[in-house]
Amino acid sequence: MAGAIIEVENLVTHYGEKKILDGVSFAVPAGEISLVIGGSGCGKTTLLKHMCGLLKPTAGRIIHDGRDIAVLDEDEMARMQRDIGIAFQSSGLLNSMTVGDNVALPLREYGTCDKRLINAIVRMKLSLVGLAGAEDLMPDELSGGMRKRAGLARAIALDPPLVYFDEPSAGLDPIMASGLDEVILKLKRVLGITFVIVTHELQSIRKIADRILMLDEGRAVFSGTLEDVERTDVERVRQFFERRPDAYITQRNV
Amino acid sequence: MSDVRVACPRVLDVETGRALFDAISGQRIEQGRIVALDCAETETVDSQGGAWLIAIAEHLHGRQSDLHIEGAHGDVAEYLELVAPGLAPMPAKERADQGLFEEIGHYTLAWGGEARDFLNLCIDALYWTIIAPFEGRGFRWGLLIEEIHEMGARAVRIVALMNFLLGLIIAMLSAKQVENFGVTIYVADLIMIGFARELASIMTAVVVSARTGAAITAEISTMKVQEEIDALRGMGLNVTQFLVAPKLLALIIVMPCLTVIGLIAGIMGGALWGVFILDFQPSIWFDETLNAAYLDDLMQGFLKSFVFAVAIALIGCHNGLRVEGGSRGVGLMTTRSVVMDIFMIICIDIVFAVIFYYLVA
Repeated sequence: MAGAIIEVENLVTHYGEKKILDGVSFAVPAGEISLVIGGSGCGKTTLLKHMCGLLKPTAGRIIHDGRDIAVLDEDEMARMQRDIGIAFQSSGLLNSMTVGDNVALPLREYGTCDKRLINAIVRMKLSLVGLAGAEDLMPDELSGGMRKRAGLARAIALDPPLVYFDEPSAGLDPIMASGLDEVILKLKRVLGITFVIVTHELQSIRKIADRILMLDEGRAVFSGTLEDVERTDVERVRQFFERRPDAYITQRNV
Repeated sequence: MSDVRVACPRVLDVETGRALFDAISGQRIEQGRIVALDCAETETVDSQGGAWLIAIAEHLHGRQSDLHIEGAHGDVAEYLELVAPGLAPMPAKERADQGLFEEIGHYTLAWGGEARDFLNLCIDALYWTIIAPFEGRGFRWGLLIEEIHEMGARAVRIVALMNFLLGLIIAMLSAKQVENFGVTIYVADLIMIGFARELASIMTAVVVSARTGAAITAEISTMKVQEEIDALRGMGLNVTQFLVAPKLLALIIVMPCLTVIGLIAGIMGGALWGVFILDFQPSIWFDETLNAAYLDDLMQGFLKSFVFAVAIALIGCHNGLRVEGGSRGVGLMTTRSVVMDIFMIICIDIVFAVIFYYLVA
């Protein structure tokens, strides 16, 4: 796909004998917010982990910058990962460091910017996510929403063109979740960041989605825009957006 | 007082931002003056350019001056609006310095609070371990068996090995000292008395504190960090009954057993040197060892091991329950637990030494 920043082709992966992803294909257009949606345990986070090289697929390819990331050596993989910011579901902040030091960590480790500038960049990134002045707080002094935003500030510390965000709204109150959606939209609009976001929060999906990929039991059952969702006749998608329950709750652990 | 006006470059990036910073910081700007940055001509700002603006604002705030941005439009205005909180002066940090009396008061209160918590835990633990089971209030016997296996059976090898090696070392050292007097057989007495009174119980307690005490703290503090302790309390369960009592009773049971194993291993270590290096008949060496075995020496070591067990279990649980923060807090508390254990082992040993010194005298 022209203009795609990363592409997934026929991705298959297993945990032991169990197939988690089964031939998933999609492309992430640059400068847009792509959402990966689906029920719990459908393979969303697994897909995200493959896209940032944390897991190796059983089959299929993930193309970043024209190259399959499966064949990258350690240094090339590290360079690719530097171009991708990852904000984890539980924030992934290092508890032994202040919020400011967490955000400064990639800046200090990679040494790509003027040392006099590190504090200013930390302040700026925290301002971008609405946490100005939180530099000296420890992660355990932050609320859940603040931790997620601090995790996002660290993810964008190196100005990556692509950011993965795992469940930004999970566990947040509607006001906080809506505020985080606004931050994501601003970062996309002002800084031109491409987002791949894993979520199953309907209100967030309706607010921020440019493109949607829906997974169900490891298979991609829908790919398109919000307008396409309104027109689709894929039953699983309609059920998801209309919040209709299954006849029985599927046991995904057996 | 008029403003200082500076034009912002058309493209504000890392290079032009640095030049702007150098230009402004190179100027003598009087206190209270405002530097007006004219962004009318600025078309793009990148991330590092924006960071230089924050660095300029911080520099000016440090000189009681301020930065005003004027004339920004389009994307630049939107970007600057996003980073505006970063351009505001940092709130003054609270003074961390305290006077001497404040510090003394602070530490006294902290120490008093901790002592109260520890005392509460001791009383609670002794009640749930010794009294409550007889009142039919429940005890986790299944967990007790598991803990005995973990704390006792799985520690036998390391306890025996450490004491064996210590016995060997003591025999080696003392034989060298007494061989000039031709009384090397008394090394057997020394090993027996030393291990019965002090070494077996101390060495075993040190091994148990490093192994079991640290594990207790790490387990309970991780449970607290992950809100498992709150979950137990939320279910109406008593944490001391559920977690502390089985560990305490298990350690009270296994510690004397491990001490006896340590004593035997220490004697065997000494015997190895006596029989193979000092060339004594095994029967002579062991007869001398048994001659030196007095009940009050054995009782001193044996009784101490009970007190060590109570101290190690309660210190481990106390530190686990006091954890704050995340993974770092767990590490700090585990370290603190082992240090406190070893300090307490020495303190308890001194108390026993004094008591038995006057008792025997």
